Amino acid sequence: MSKRKKLKINDISKDTEKLSTVETKDLMPLPADFEEKEWADLPEETKEKWACILDDVNMLQIPKPKTVEEEEELVNKFIVGMRKLFTKEDNWTFLPMLETTMEHCAKCNTCSEACHLFEATGGNEMYRPSYRTEIFRRIYKKYVKKEPFSKWRNGDIDLNWKTVARLGELAYRCNICRRCAQTCPIGADNALVAREIRKIFSQELGMTTPELHEKGSMMQLKTGSSTQMTKNVVKDNVEFIDEDFSEEFEYEFETPWDVEGADILLIHNAGEIMAWPENIAAFGIIFQAAGLSWTMSSELAAYDSVNYGVFYDDVQFARTAILHAQAAKKLGVKKIVLGECGHAHKALTVIADRVLPEALKVPRESCFPILRDIVMSGKIKFDPERNNFPVTLHDPCNITRLMGIIKPQREIVHKLCPQFREMTPNGPFNYCCGGGSGFAIMSRNNIPEWRFKVTGRKKLEQMLNAFSDSRGPDIPKYVCAPCSNCKGQIRDIFERYELLEKERMTYSGLVELIVNAMVDVKPGFIKWDEE
Amino acid sequence: MADVEFNGETFPVDEDGFIMDFNLWSKNWVQHVKQEEGIDEMSEEHWKVIDILQDYYKKNGIAPMVRVLSKLTKFKLKHIYELFPSGPGKGACKMAGLPKPTGCV
Repeated sequence: MSKRKKLKINDISKDTEKLSTVETKDLMPLPADFEEKEWADLPEETKEKWACILDDVNMLQIPKPKTVEEEEELVNKFIVGMRKLFTKEDNWTFLPMLETTMEHCAKCNTCSEACHLFEATGGNEMYRPSYRTEIFRRIYKKYVKKEPFSKWRNGDIDLNWKTVARLGELAYRCNICRRCAQTCPIGADNALVAREIRKIFSQELGMTTPELHEKGSMMQLKTGSSTQMTKNVVKDNVEFIDEDFSEEFEYEFETPWDVEGADILLIHNAGEIMAWPENIAAFGIIFQAAGLSWTMSSELAAYDSVNYGVFYDDVQFARTAILHAQAAKKLGVKKIVLGECGHAHKALTVIADRVLPEALKVPRESCFPILRDIVMSGKIKFDPERNNFPVTLHDPCNITRLMGIIKPQREIVHKLCPQFREMTPNGPFNYCCGGGSGFAIMSRNNIPEWRFKVTGRKKLEQMLNAFSDSRGPDIPKYVCAPCSNCKGQIRDIFERYELLEKERMTYSGLVELIVNAMVDVKPGFIKWDEE
Repeated sequence: MADVEFNGETFPVDEDGFIMDFNLWSKNWVQHVKQEEGIDEMSEEHWKVIDILQDYYKKNGIAPMVRVLSKLTKFKLKHIYELFPSGPGKGACKMAGLPKPTGCV
């Protein structure tokens, strides 16, 4: 960011090529020297097809308007969508929180200090959490609420297609981690505003990101999973995992499918099955060893806890949440338990309360308290010496800050990991991994580089600092990140900065640490190298 | 979105560089990805991985789990990385003409 020319609210509407850029020299310094790349030019096809006028990245696919009519249509539809956000019938899910944010922000900027993007970019104004909100607020007050003299009371805004397109893209420059909302003395929620803008674009304009919509929530509704695993494929894959890991670790276990009347319906993020099968195996081993009554379901969408609607669209959200609840009802289980996926926790245990009809309100729980109870029960024999390497814990935002599940994970790692150390800050005050709100699965144009430089930078700093006593390639280290999305982001950060090679750092979930310490399982469940 | 041209053949690709339509896959596509991946010479082992990926994809509409690929080819994962430096997804699947994996993977 150029310090001489500070970005202003009204710059969002200006007829410039782009609004801002994050310069390498302004990035927050890290406790190790890493070479940072400059932004590559966006691909020509991307620039031709989509409105790329915010910065050096393109996420939201807004077709570039070709005529004045198309420009006007973009603005008009945006206003129609915004009006709906402020109508109870159209937005009963989030309207009260949105109104609080619109009416009561005191502009104290406490939120800015809390934001890891603002910090990582050396205080780039575009990343001030209230920047996006203030633009949104001014449009709302002037064009939707139509407050008298809004221009003077609230500050003016020039509403043209560039304002709208930039605001849409800017809604995808936030991890929706809600650290800003947590620190706000009034309870304004800038992260909510980011998601509400995404909703206007998806629900009113039909503009989304392909990873979350066509290839995400639509695939889940069509094939049963965002990974496109159908019922038969998922059952084959899990059966393969059961056999493969039973053999390798000399511990027989089998995942039960479609068991009517089981106590627990376990729903994993299906990405785990494809990319981190050891997580699926570890759950199978632990649940079997503890003698739980549990099952997985092969119903459409019920073997994939992801609900990408949580990132951008209430309708897609509701469609998926209903499928999850229906599957549980059909089997007659006592409760749904969610595996290690933060967004699934947010979707099904928190937001689903606002959309599920009474008849579908099945009890829904996090896996962490259950895992804690198992580990503490004495039913399973552990040898913590097997986990005798430096371990730190990443707190997924949706599990810790949103839901307040803080202690269960810690009781487990304190019991099983002799060299456990916290990151600073941690628990409810954690920082996002940088992949939150859907970014972890996006790899188009400069998105990965942005995830490393901007959103993931604070987490990288925290991880390195947690291991400041054991740096270098000789001591194996483990980042416990019990969330599929966080793991995807952390995997990519490790690869980008060569942390396995340079620091012998690996990452995985919580259940893997539990199984790695189980006396009845062959040692070596956690691996640092591919075999 | 964009087109890749190789030896006079045109392949429409997505923004991640994966071929848009599995049915357009041809040996020229393999040559293109081979260059991108920095593979010197295509060996029988490379082709074995590609054949198995394509068979599995035709049957299941999705790429296999890496562990399944390893079992089917009888290659250790480490060896698959030696064959395809970008890994089974970004390297091998791309070369075999499979679409980019979706979901939280």
